[in-house]
Amino acid sequence: MGRRKLEDDDDNNNSKEFKSKNLQAERRRRQKLSDRLLTLRSLVPIITNMNKATIIDDAITYIQELQKTSQVLSEQLLEMEGSSEESVMPMKLEIDVAQHDMKKCGIKEEVKVSNIDGNKFLIKIIVEKKRGCFTQLIEAMNYLGFELSETNVTTFSGAMLFSSCVHGKYGDTLMVEHIEELLSEMMRSMKTSSQSAIELGNTN
Amino acid sequence: MKVYEESGCFDPHSLTDCQELMGLPGATPTNCHNSLEDTLTVSSYNHHHHEDASAALDMEPQQHYLLDNTTNSHSHLIPYLTQDLPYDQSHWESFNVVPSSSSPEAAAAAAAAASAYTPTPDLLSLFHLPRCSFLPNPSISFETTPGSPSVVYDPLFHLNLPPQPPVFRELLQSLPHGYTVPADDKDAARVGGLYHDGDNGIIQFTRDISMAGRAKDRDKAGKTTKHFATERERRVHLNDKYQALRTMVPSPTKNDRASIVDDAIKYIKELLGTVRELKILVDKKRCGQERSKRLKTEDAGSAADAGDVECKPLGDPDQCYNTSLRSSWLQRKSKDSEVDVRIVDDEVTIKLVQRKKINCLLFVSRLLDELQLDLQHVAGGNIGDYYSFLFNTKIYEGSSVYACAIANKLIDVVDRQYAAAPPTSSTSL
Repeated sequence: MGRRKLEDDDDNNNSKEFKSKNLQAERRRRQKLSDRLLTLRSLVPIITNMNKATIIDDAITYIQELQKTSQVLSEQLLEMEGSSEESVMPMKLEIDVAQHDMKKCGIKEEVKVSNIDGNKFLIKIIVEKKRGCFTQLIEAMNYLGFELSETNVTTFSGAMLFSSCVHGKYGDTLMVEHIEELLSEMMRSMKTSSQSAIELGNTN
Repeated sequence: MKVYEESGCFDPHSLTDCQELMGLPGATPTNCHNSLEDTLTVSSYNHHHHEDASAALDMEPQQHYLLDNTTNSHSHLIPYLTQDLPYDQSHWESFNVVPSSSSPEAAAAAAAAASAYTPTPDLLSLFHLPRCSFLPNPSISFETTPGSPSVVYDPLFHLNLPPQPPVFRELLQSLPHGYTVPADDKDAARVGGLYHDGDNGIIQFTRDISMAGRAKDRDKAGKTTKHFATERERRVHLNDKYQALRTMVPSPTKNDRASIVDDAIKYIKELLGTVRELKILVDKKRCGQERSKRLKTEDAGSAADAGDVECKPLGDPDQCYNTSLRSSWLQRKSKDSEVDVRIVDDEVTIKLVQRKKINCLLFVSRLLDELQLDLQHVAGGNIGDYYSFLFNTKIYEGSSVYACAIANKLIDVVDRQYAAAPPTSSTSL
């Protein structure tokens, strides 16, 4: 494993120096390895002998055991998940809460675009927070050919504030108003689609 | 599984299995099992006939070891027909250590198997037969190809069996008297070489051949002790174990021993954390289910149906506490991305650093939706050559994702997108 061959030197001093430098480095390396092996040993509830080879073996078997256990547990969890009935309810609750909160705080939905430089824009959007609205926003950005260089999203009181510094990938300069219009359009369609989803859910 | 049979019956069929196995380095563990048994019984049979073999080959612990290691990635179940090299010198004429270009041990394996192939259990013929063979010898109805010995060699490591020297009597005879035949320089230094006796039949190993290269007896505790013929074998064996350990961790980095052990330590800690987390989740889930069941039975007005409730938590049955706070932390690194997932109770914080190629934000957000994570805060963007993002999310009520799953899926998605994206020249910005 990288044992250096010591050349027999005419110059005794040289070879001695070389040897001692190597020695120390080698010692340190070995020390480092043995320390780590010791840590490994402490982690593993081994059963067999305490020599270097068996500690590695036992570590292997222990890891396999742990992997198996975690797999079993996760399967169990999936199984239990499938049989639970709780998941449907929270979604409806969320949405109602969100709408309520936003109105209470007087936050209005908004789309604002400003041109920074050439093809760069600063976009600020406030929407009502819903499941998956971030994804929709990003999809909208992609659709418009924007590359997000700095993004910031915060949620509060049932609203989501999306602010991002973008620049157009496609090279042609878009007008600010144009962008604002497009984005508002998208937001409206997002809203209506999600509302119909809610209604669908309500009737079920 | 009782593999070590004391039956004296020699089963010629087992050897055909063995041959196939010898020829098929990629033999899977499952179809090796039976042949493993058989071939090992053959060896045990031969073992019994070697009276002079001083406590030589005890196959059982090796089998044990073999079977325990079946899950290892090495296909090391090719049984190794070790023939007990009797320490009686009179039999040693046909054995020596050979400096063949292919590994001597592999050739030895073939030789040993070859010798075992003889139908007659006659001791002497066992040793005569190999004399005539050159190894690797295709005419010995082995399916071994010249290249395969090196593969056959591979499985040996977990057997802790040092190789048997092949039989190259001719080679030996061609040597001048007293000339040593080292396998390689280092081996010679350690083994001490062989000495050709005047009789041209007797070769003696020096040094620790008395414990000579084979995995051995049990000690008092009933576990095997290993004695390798050469220091080199021991090192190679150990190196293979390190490699095996390396294959188990999800994202191994450097290939040196200290790093391998380090990665293993981190992975074990991670696994322990995951298991703990999963247990907590399962408990919570079960409690939740119990509670909802109880509620349902109460709603139905049939309070008498105590039988519905499967488990009653200690103390107040209406309060199914799980006061343990789940917290876990994982990291996953791949070539171009790095994912860091921390979960505390129901809040998940994800950090993602990715080499700038494609803006993966879309895919990540889709994945987060899929995992039922509610975005609270996102921050990120370009940092030099990299995209870096921080997601603060909350787990929706009732969902039970766990850290490992998140991290793995995330890095998977990111890497896949990365791979799928065509290489773009760096955009001027």
